[in-house]
Amino acid sequence: MTSAVKLDNVTYRYPGGKAGIFDLSLDIAAGEMIVCIGPSGCGKTTLLKLIAGFLRPDRGTVALHDVDVTTASVRERQLGIVFQAYALFPHMRVWENVAYPLRVRGAATTEQRSRAEAMLDLVGLVGLGDRLPAQLSGGQQQRVALARALVFEPKALLLDEPLSALDAATRVAMRDEVRRIQRAQNVATLLITHDQDEALSMADRIVILKDGRLVQAASPHEIYDRPANAFVAGFVGRANVIDGRVTDAANIETSLGTLAMPGHGQPAGRTVSMLVRPERIIPTSEAQGENVYAVSVERDRFFGATRQLDLSCGGARLKLETVERGAVRFVRIPREAIQLLA
Amino acid sequence: MLPRWVTYAYLAYLIAPIALLVVGSFGGSWLNTLLPSGFTAQWYADVAMDASFRRAFNASLITAAATCTACLVIGLPLAYAVFRSSRPGVRAFARLLYQLPVALPPLVLAFGFILVFSSDALPWLGSIWLLVAGHTVLCLPYFLQAVVADMQRLGLGALEAAAESLGSSPRQRFFHIVVPLLRHSIVSGLIVVAALSIGEFQFSNLVAGFLSRTYPVVLLQAFYGATGFACAATVILLMLALLGSAAGAFTAGRTTALGSH
Repeated sequence: MTSAVKLDNVTYRYPGGKAGIFDLSLDIAAGEMIVCIGPSGCGKTTLLKLIAGFLRPDRGTVALHDVDVTTASVRERQLGIVFQAYALFPHMRVWENVAYPLRVRGAATTEQRSRAEAMLDLVGLVGLGDRLPAQLSGGQQQRVALARALVFEPKALLLDEPLSALDAATRVAMRDEVRRIQRAQNVATLLITHDQDEALSMADRIVILKDGRLVQAASPHEIYDRPANAFVAGFVGRANVIDGRVTDAANIETSLGTLAMPGHGQPAGRTVSMLVRPERIIPTSEAQGENVYAVSVERDRFFGATRQLDLSCGGARLKLETVERGAVRFVRIPREAIQLLA
Repeated sequence: MLPRWVTYAYLAYLIAPIALLVVGSFGGSWLNTLLPSGFTAQWYADVAMDASFRRAFNASLITAAATCTACLVIGLPLAYAVFRSSRPGVRAFARLLYQLPVALPPLVLAFGFILVFSSDALPWLGSIWLLVAGHTVLCLPYFLQAVVADMQRLGLGALEAAAESLGSSPRQRFFHIVVPLLRHSIVSGLIVVAALSIGEFQFSNLVAGFLSRTYPVVLLQAFYGATGFACAATVILLMLALLGSAAGAFTAGRTTALGSH
């Protein structure tokens, strides 16, 4: 299968700074939805600009459908881009906005109109074609931007934090909408976000960047269940990262106490980091047993379906997420919930 | 209560001279009294019949129109360049240009023009085009300021980036996005330019040739004659200015209406 977007060892350094993108290689398959997340300044937007052609890499190549476009202009690349603030043309009606890519390609007005209307249908904006962008809600403007970016059958779709300007309820609904529309068009997509829920719920594959470097690229399940390191573990989902020192083949000495983890495969004396997700820790009433620790509750937040607790245990702190309503005095950390981090 | 009183007093202070001008322009004779005596429209007829005033009126209109055209043709690409450029040199140049009217009084500019253009090499002093050139130098910063501020307010950069990604050429972007979005500031900038050009006295008085004297320059002469005549001539200038702003407001309103449905 050919990749719709292929970056090969791309490096870009901002003039006079340390920020940029370094040795980044990435493939986006046809129809695939990649979500790129990372902390502010990690290079997400730079990555998008490099693919879009707003920036040229210092080294490495960018290819679209096996054609090298490293030196091609933004216009030549024919990518659909949805900007963070949508960048709808305020003086054009909704359908004119959507038809604009067709207009600059010289399509007849009737064709422009019919294809724009068809696209507005797809994004769920029937009958709003004659409005001005300012007369639409944020979510509707978002849909217009999406329709405009897709109407000319772009080589790929780039979305720069497309949902960040929406209110919380609309944002969650738009996640499904964006995914539905993207699937309907079967277009390779890169979505930039800082919202981990967005990444986990929308992506075929998540790409995590830190300081301009790719840390991990994997499916949402894999990112969550097998994070490459403590940074990924802490960045995606809530995490307890526990440091310790290997005592023998089955036990690790930590600030919680001794943690039994047979088969860890590490030599004695090595310092290690372990990940335990808060929802994998089990509140228990029994004081005895493997990996059972006495805890005191520091903070208890009730969310309806679940509770999130901050626990202190010896010198360590643990995050716990549970559906149990009762008092928490002891917790058990099952062996299979413990994972060694690189 | 006090602020309102101050406002009214200020308005009266502002309007009184204009009102007196209008009253004077219709007054028969006005000598050492608070208000003129008699009523006549003769002064207006006199001004209208006066060859030098007619010529000056036309010269002012031509100068203003030509200055507007020059500001549009030079100013719009320049504003665009200033807005698009991230180079500090260009920004500094733009700041310098904005400060020009403060740093360079019309009088100074006029002396410069006289020095340069009275030479045998460039003997253009007295031509209306030299007048237009000077007015353009004086007015361009105001036009630039209006347009560049609007470009920044609209976030033109992001809109252009979007248009570019959608396949639009630089030329298409300019005519599809930049010009339609800037129409309000272009129009209002040109109104300011026209008003400044029509009212400009210092520079015109020194640089204009005898046959290309603008209205304000000729107007000064009127004050050596009959008071009623001078008042009538001034009221005409005032009307011209008011007409300009009204036309501007109308055009701006029209473009807004066209854009909104």
